Amino acid sequence: MACPHLDYRESDGDREFDVARAFCTVADEFVQPVHADVCAERYGLDPESDCEIFRDRAGLDWDE
Amino acid sequence: MTYEEYLDGKPVVITAALTGGIHGKETHPGLPETPAEIAEAAAAVEEAGAAVVHLHARRENGERAFSTERFQTVTDAVRDATEDVVIQHSTGGTAAPDALRAEPLCTDPAPEMASLDMGPMNRGRRLTSENTRDTIDGLHAEMRERGIKPELEVFNNGHLNEAFRILDELAEPPYLNLILGPGTLTPPSPANLQRLVEQLPDGAEFNVIGFGPHQLPLTTQSLLLGGHVRVGLEDNSYLREGERATNAALVERAARIAGELGRPVASPAEARELLGVRSRR
Ligand code: SF4
Repeated sequence: MACPHLDYRESDGDREFDVARAFCTVADEFVQPVHADVCAERYGLDPESDCEIFRDRAGLDWDE
Repeated sequence: MTYEEYLDGKPVVITAALTGGIHGKETHPGLPETPAEIAEAAAAVEEAGAAVVHLHARRENGERAFSTERFQTVTDAVRDATEDVVIQHSTGGTAAPDALRAEPLCTDPAPEMASLDMGPMNRGRRLTSENTRDTIDGLHAEMRERGIKPELEVFNNGHLNEAFRILDELAEPPYLNLILGPGTLTPPSPANLQRLVEQLPDGAEFNVIGFGPHQLPLTTQSLLLGGHVRVGLEDNSYLREGERATNAALVERAARIAGELGRPVASPAEARELLGVRSRR
C-alpha cells in the first residue's frame, strides 16, 4: 500500500531525473527521501498518523 | 581535545558526509546518490584532505536503503575509487526497525567506523528518530563484536549522559560527535559548543557537525578547541549564501582553514592512529 497522494515522476516541469522519484500531489513537490518511507508506508509508517500534509488535507486534529 | 592541543598543532581529522538519507537530488541536484556518484565524491574528498568518509546507502530513486546488500555495493565502489580513506557507515535511520539498523555493520569487510546515535531526535511534526537504550546497546554490541570503532552521535546535551553510561565499554579513545543545529539538536552557538566540549570525559576525542550555515563557524571553532570536523552535503548544501557546494569544495575549505590555523590535516593512517581505528584497507 501507499499514500493515495503519492505519485512517482521523472519531472515536475522544472526538473528532470533519470529515475522516477516520489512526488506528493498535495504539496505539489518532490518528497524528501526520509519522508518517502511514510508515503510508501514502509516500516509500519502510515500517512494518516505520520504525515502532516496528509493530516492537514484530511482535516485531522493533532490527537486524532 | 583542548586548546593546548590546538597550540601544539595536533592533526585534525576531516570527515566528509557525502550523501546522507534525509534529502536528495530534489534538494541539491549535485548530491551523490548512486554508488558510482558516491564513489566519485569519495575520491574527490580524499584528494582534498578528508581522512574519513561517512556513508549512507540509497535505492535507485534516491530513497533510503539499509540492507547489507545496498551498503556492500556502496562500500565496494568507494574502496575501489579511493586509496586509503577510512570508511564509516551510518547506522542512523528514523523509524527504521532495529534489525535493519544493524545491517550496515554486516558488510564484508566490516566498516572501520560506524555512527551510533545516542538518543532521540524529532524530524518534522510527526516523526521521531527514537534510538532507545536497547537500540544503542544492541548496535554497540554488534560494533564491538566486529571491531568497528563507534562515533557517538550527541544530538544534544542530554545525550552526553547516554555516552557516559557506556563509557566503560568503549575502546580508547572515546570518540564523540557534537551536533548543533535546529529542532532537538543542541542550539547552534559558540557558547553551546564550548560548554559541550567542557563536559567531555578525559581523553575523549571529539568531532563537530554544524548544520547549514553553522557548518563553517562551528567546525572552525572545533579547530581552535583541538577537535575534529565533519563537513559535506549531508549537513550543508551551500558553500556560501546562494552558492551550492560540492563535497570536495567543503573539504578543501576545511583543510585550508585548518592549515591557516596551524592544524595539519590528518592522513587516513594518522586518523586511525588518533581515533583508535583498526585498518581494513
Ligand atoms: S507527503 Fe504525505 S500526503 Fe504527500 S504523498 Fe507523502 S504521505 Fe501522502
